[in-house]
Amino acid sequence: MSYAVAVDIGGTFTDLVAYDHATHKVIYAKSPTTYDNLVEGILECFHKAKIQPAEASLVNHGTTLVINSLIQRSGARAALVTSEGFRDILEIARGNRPDPFDLHYQRDEPLIPRELRLEVPERTSSKGEVITPLDLTALEKLAGEIRTLGVESVAIFFVNSYINPAHEEAAAEKLKELLPGVYVTFSTDLTREWYEYERCSTVAANAYVGPQVSTYIRQLDTDLEQQSFVGSLFMMGSNGGLLSAQRACRQPIGLVESGPIGGCIGASAYAEALGFQNLISFDMGGTTAKCALVENGRFSVNSVYYANGYIKGFPIKSAVIDIVEVGSGGGSIAWLDSQKRLHVGPQSAGSTPGPVSYGRGGTEPTVTDANLVLGRLNAGNFLGGEMRLDIGAAQEAITRGIATPLNYTGRDGMIQMADGIISIATVIMAGAIRKISVEHGLDPRDFILFSYGGGGPLHACALAHELSIPTVIIPPEPGNFSASGMLLADARIDTSKTFVGILEDKAAVPAMAEIFGAMEREAATALRAEFGTSSVFFEHHAEMRYRGQRHNIKVPVSGLKNAAAIRAAFERDYKRRYGHADAKATAEFQAVHLSTFARLKQPEIAHLPRPSTKARPMRTRRVYIGNAGGWLEAQIFDRDALEPGFSGTGPAVIEEYGSTTIVWPSDRFEIGELREIRIKCLRE
Amino acid sequence: LKLSRLSFSDQEHVTMKPMSALDSLERAIDPITLEVIRHGIISICDQIDANMTRTAFSPYIYEYKDYAVGFVGVQGELLAQSTGGMPVFVADSVGMAVKDGLEVYRRENLHKGDVIVCNHAAVQGQHLNNTVMYTPVFAGPKGNELIGFFAVNCHWIDVGGSAIGSVSYSSTDIFMEGLQLRSIKIWSKGEPNEEVYRIIENNTRFPLELLGDIEAQLGGCLLGRDLTQAMADKYSPAIFLDALDTILDQCEAATRAKIRALPDGVYQYEAFLDNDGVRNEKIPIKVKVIVAGDEMTVDFSEMSDQVKGCINSGYYGGGRTCVRVAFKYLIATDEPANEGTFRPLKMILPERKLLSAEPTAAMGLYSIPFPTVIDCIIKALEPALPERVTGAHFGTFSSLSFAGKRTDTGAVFKANDSGHGGWGACATHDGAGPFRTMAHGDTRLIPIELQESMYPFRVEEFALRQDSGGPGKWRGGVGFDKQYVLLAPCELWANFDRIGCPPWGVQGGKAAKSGQVLIFKNGKQEAELLYKTEGCPLQAGDRVRMSTAGGGGYGDPHERPVELVQRDVIRGFVSPESARDDYGVVFDDNGKASRRKDKG
Repeated sequence: MSYAVAVDIGGTFTDLVAYDHATHKVIYAKSPTTYDNLVEGILECFHKAKIQPAEASLVNHGTTLVINSLIQRSGARAALVTSEGFRDILEIARGNRPDPFDLHYQRDEPLIPRELRLEVPERTSSKGEVITPLDLTALEKLAGEIRTLGVESVAIFFVNSYINPAHEEAAAEKLKELLPGVYVTFSTDLTREWYEYERCSTVAANAYVGPQVSTYIRQLDTDLEQQSFVGSLFMMGSNGGLLSAQRACRQPIGLVESGPIGGCIGASAYAEALGFQNLISFDMGGTTAKCALVENGRFSVNSVYYANGYIKGFPIKSAVIDIVEVGSGGGSIAWLDSQKRLHVGPQSAGSTPGPVSYGRGGTEPTVTDANLVLGRLNAGNFLGGEMRLDIGAAQEAITRGIATPLNYTGRDGMIQMADGIISIATVIMAGAIRKISVEHGLDPRDFILFSYGGGGPLHACALAHELSIPTVIIPPEPGNFSASGMLLADARIDTSKTFVGILEDKAAVPAMAEIFGAMEREAATALRAEFGTSSVFFEHHAEMRYRGQRHNIKVPVSGLKNAAAIRAAFERDYKRRYGHADAKATAEFQAVHLSTFARLKQPEIAHLPRPSTKARPMRTRRVYIGNAGGWLEAQIFDRDALEPGFSGTGPAVIEEYGSTTIVWPSDRFEIGELREIRIKCLRE
Repeated sequence: LKLSRLSFSDQEHVTMKPMSALDSLERAIDPITLEVIRHGIISICDQIDANMTRTAFSPYIYEYKDYAVGFVGVQGELLAQSTGGMPVFVADSVGMAVKDGLEVYRRENLHKGDVIVCNHAAVQGQHLNNTVMYTPVFAGPKGNELIGFFAVNCHWIDVGGSAIGSVSYSSTDIFMEGLQLRSIKIWSKGEPNEEVYRIIENNTRFPLELLGDIEAQLGGCLLGRDLTQAMADKYSPAIFLDALDTILDQCEAATRAKIRALPDGVYQYEAFLDNDGVRNEKIPIKVKVIVAGDEMTVDFSEMSDQVKGCINSGYYGGGRTCVRVAFKYLIATDEPANEGTFRPLKMILPERKLLSAEPTAAMGLYSIPFPTVIDCIIKALEPALPERVTGAHFGTFSSLSFAGKRTDTGAVFKANDSGHGGWGACATHDGAGPFRTMAHGDTRLIPIELQESMYPFRVEEFALRQDSGGPGKWRGGVGFDKQYVLLAPCELWANFDRIGCPPWGVQGGKAAKSGQVLIFKNGKQEAELLYKTEGCPLQAGDRVRMSTAGGGGYGDPHERPVELVQRDVIRGFVSPESARDDYGVVFDDNGKASRRKDKG
């Protein structure tokens, strides 16, 4: 009864990590994701790991269910109830066209079509005064209408509810009473910030996924209970913290980026354990690469997220770790356009058919194929030898698809182009890292590159050299890192509120403290009730700007008692981000954000690696690194056999199940106390 | 300095290569380095773009994205530009300013740390708010090789003149529209020129916002310069410039190939604008497009002459911008905006036309005709590109503003709101929207919750507008209705057009409904429909209802599947009457839809 278990359902595999607090034993299991019944895949993982759900005290669960439902449009038939005159807010959106020259541009269809959007007389002013009382008779009539529409859920959105949510709350209560069995959600239960479209879109999305997610969570809970599980089930929130199952059912939109978050949490936990303040977490999988910043030991959290992207998707006002994603993964396809310009991605061969070398019918060369022909991947030892890679097919595809059309002939030409594919993928991924660092006024050289995922360790040194990052760290089990990270999460609730005030106004700071006080009491009570814990801690942020600006920056204000201290923090962050600050301009508040945490019992990081194995005999292999001298004789190491304190110099290849690390020539690597690989990348 | 159109020609830097050479472009540079530099230079521009949005003070920049970022070659040719932003700027709004600066100062007098601004009507040919700022980029081992200019064009919130914001229909020449800065060094060798700042500060109604924006613009130029220099030095300036040159040639080859695929011919279309806001006379918008081999020429010879009202624009900022924007939409969608992409595109545009006005003409609302000109070029090419063209879009700025004094602070305010409208349908789907016009880009509506907290009005309804989309096999996009009730006395400004010439359909599709503004006093509708008005007085309790136009349809409406017509009726986008009259679809007593056989 002492296992802490984390389960991460990904696109291809369901990963499980179990950790025994008593013996520090750690078990990893992987099983194909079962799309028809996701719970089956989880139970299969328990089976493979040879543990009973009854032995688990805790299951932390991350899932891509919410984002898949939103993108594949497989959610519920939902209705929207709005203030009279405003049912089209959801469809009109903000009227912008982010793709400036697409003559045929369309946004994604609204989640709730017009015939399911209904209006009720009510109106609150921008100051929170009631202009038109909520018409309860009309609402009752509307409930009758909703019953005939055959919907599974109802979203409620009223204009200006951010300043006074009374009408939304009353309407929700009434509709719950009148519509038993229907999932009812209202906008101010999800966010208390202004901007009607964003709030309306958020509640529509919550209604859209609500029935499906709450059914899934309840089923998982029931199935686990039937297997004698008596521990707690927690869900991995996009904010990087755990949510109680009950909250996840009420606010499923908080799980929108539940999948990739585990790795970020793991990265910040390692940063803390290793004593680093700043790192860039870099996760490269089959179709995309994702990166996020950990600064002063914390990852940054955005307050708006675009489901299916900014170009065509819709906003969700929910705390989501700031992750920048680019379409560059192992399966990304290299191709030539009509002018023979070489591109890599964003189209991906994914896992089916996958790269040409997988031999599953893929015909276009991919990043993985390029890595293979350059000797970086071991054709005979991929996934621990479970899968053989066809190097001849990869060579042929690169020759035919890229080298020959560009007049690069022979084996050398093919190799040069394979290396070129890697270079372009590197530039694209480096662009993502620049986006989250340089654009925020941060210098990537001040960060450590923390790299995981199947492809992260293969490309980490190239990225470090491209960005002049001096240190790379590869954690243990990089292929399962997202699941491991979920074991290390705190319980967390994020709440926010629009708060408009001038910093220099004497009443502003006390008013903010009062709002934070009320928010703290509410969140702490909720967290204590949901997690049965007594100790909670808080982080406070204020969204601020110079008066007249529209874009806010989030300033940490925990412990800052007066306007002068807040002003100093604001100017420090502003200057860092934009390179200049204005000592004369008036500063103003726009919103406050409170993060409330409770620390749960967590594994000791030092015990997370697999038990070590015996080293195989010394061997070498020829590896091509174009930017570092071409073909090189590299030493090959088995990662599981490397003990802390071991060190060496590149060129080297470190192989393990699910991943391969490349160390560039003259870069030094050593195995750290947590069995992480540390690579010192020398500046050319 | 003479106040005429500048002497250099559009084609000055174009060294035409014979087709055979372009087809088998011999590249001095390897394809990998080329791609790495291609990604790199655009990502620098995009990075500066993102910083502009975040640091600017005025809503023109952070909300409307009324700016552009570009890297310009040593002769003023556009080499790379940010990917987002306003289409009217993407056509190259920065190169002209650099060319003028080179003529005014000469190259040897441009030093590291110099920063130059230009908003002159003879140079850019747009309203004086659009001000280009740029700085030379030097690279190489000694840091003394000029490799180009990093430039940011942005809408200055107010540059003086007769009206708030420097834009008004009452202006009839450029001098009523504010301060002109013709290639002035605002920084010299790394030091600010305080006199220039003082001139600017004392010629604007909003010095705080404007100086804040200038800071953001300056920061963008300097950071862009440093990043570009670092990139050039990483590969050597020669390789870097060679790569940019190759990129231009590839873009040229790509667009030539696209044009070659079109049937040769002369294509034309004529539409009109209702008036210029000053004189009640129609303004003909007539375009001719000549496709010959791998070149396309847009001939504006029969375009309206320049007008008294302030909707004129100059040769480059007007005519050339329109043809380039239309070309991007129709032909070069996937190619970046640079000199190479536009090489196969020519223009015939005599002097003193609406789109080639004299620099003394009023230009405050210079871009008003653009959406209609672009629509006309698209419509003209309908026979050549039947699968690609779309019905006309609502095509007018349909903007609405309330001006007055705040009840709380007494401060002057002007609340600008924009009437987004429907876009045309295409061969594969219904028209989209409501969006802003083809001249606009990623421009967002201002949230009602924000408006109500700042201005003395409340919005009573904000809804999609029934029957506004043009009927067709694919229906045009719909416009919207927005109704305001005033809480304090205000003045109303409106600017609607395309009433007489509503957005047309293509391939048998029908026209959309035009926009309008209604005023209600004491619950009664005023008789007069408003299209263009400035300073119309309103009292507390008065109501204003703005309705925007839809987009034109695509294909015969009688070919629209009955299920889609029925769905539109259920959703309220189409009324049962329009279903019957326009689509020939009727409903029986049980609500079952069927198509009338007699078509009418």
